[in-house]
Amino acid sequence: MEKGRISHRMSQDIKNAVVLLCRIILGIMFIYASLDKITHPEEFAKQIGYYKALPFGLENLVAIVLPWLELIIGICFLAGIFVDGATLLSIMMMIGFILIISQALLRGIDISCGCFKVSADGENIGLTTIIRDIIFLVMSFVVLNRQERKFEFLPKYD
Amino acid sequence: MFRVPLNQMLALILVSFVVGIISNSIRSDGISIFAKEIEVSENIDDVFGEPVAITLSQAKRLFDQGVVFVDARDDEYFANGHIKNAWNSGFLMELMFKLDSLQSRNDPVVVYCSEDECGSSEELAYDLYNEGFNKLLVFKGGWIEWKKAGYPIE
Repeated sequence: MEKGRISHRMSQDIKNAVVLLCRIILGIMFIYASLDKITHPEEFAKQIGYYKALPFGLENLVAIVLPWLELIIGICFLAGIFVDGATLLSIMMMIGFILIISQALLRGIDISCGCFKVSADGENIGLTTIIRDIIFLVMSFVVLNRQERKFEFLPKYD
Repeated sequence: MFRVPLNQMLALILVSFVVGIISNSIRSDGISIFAKEIEVSENIDDVFGEPVAITLSQAKRLFDQGVVFVDARDDEYFANGHIKNAWNSGFLMELMFKLDSLQSRNDPVVVYCSEDECGSSEELAYDLYNEGFNKLLVFKGGWIEWKKAGYPIE
């Protein structure tokens, strides 16, 4: 009985560690992805426009807001603030990115990804980009399905 | 049961929105909140600086004048057919070297891709603009409009 409880606790500790690792990776990824976009809004707006996925005129607004959202989500993952909200936004963004990149590939639009670097020499979109986003999506679901809330500070959970 | 943390999501979006708009309005390289479409130039002679769009008839006139046309599509599309005498864009550095060896950076260059839905011609035009080319004309109708008009191809 005692042994079972210990092994259950151990497996829960491992799950918590995996969740924490996912949060750290996602947090660093989102912060890293936001920095080049925040410093180069004009280039990022152009990159968004090349995807031809948004109604005309909206790419600038998205280029202004999205990088900050990425930065704030990244900070939330690392700092343990609003993790539920950050996780759901991360899932929605990853699904959105996967759909937008897929439609661009299907339409034969050959463009830079604009995922981490917005300069012209950034990586082009392709299957690798989609697979990478699927991995981030899976990691977000791992965080979403956590059973214990470790290292989360706001809101407070008892 | 999992409750969707709508309040958290809205708070994060709202903060990003406010910070984004404020930081964009105070920084020197801020952009307009709503984008303007690349403008069609009435007078090509006056073009200097940012790329402008041109129509089929303007493109044909420039073609007849012997202006360089650059095909921004992928190699395989270029190999299957392109505007007569157009260059394959290839690597940016290589393209710049070829252009520099032929003309000045203030001379016109027409850039096109498949049609007005493709983005690679604008992307290439802005890449060249960032490298100091000042007369970049984006033929938005591209390969499809040119071919449909029955103009010279190869």
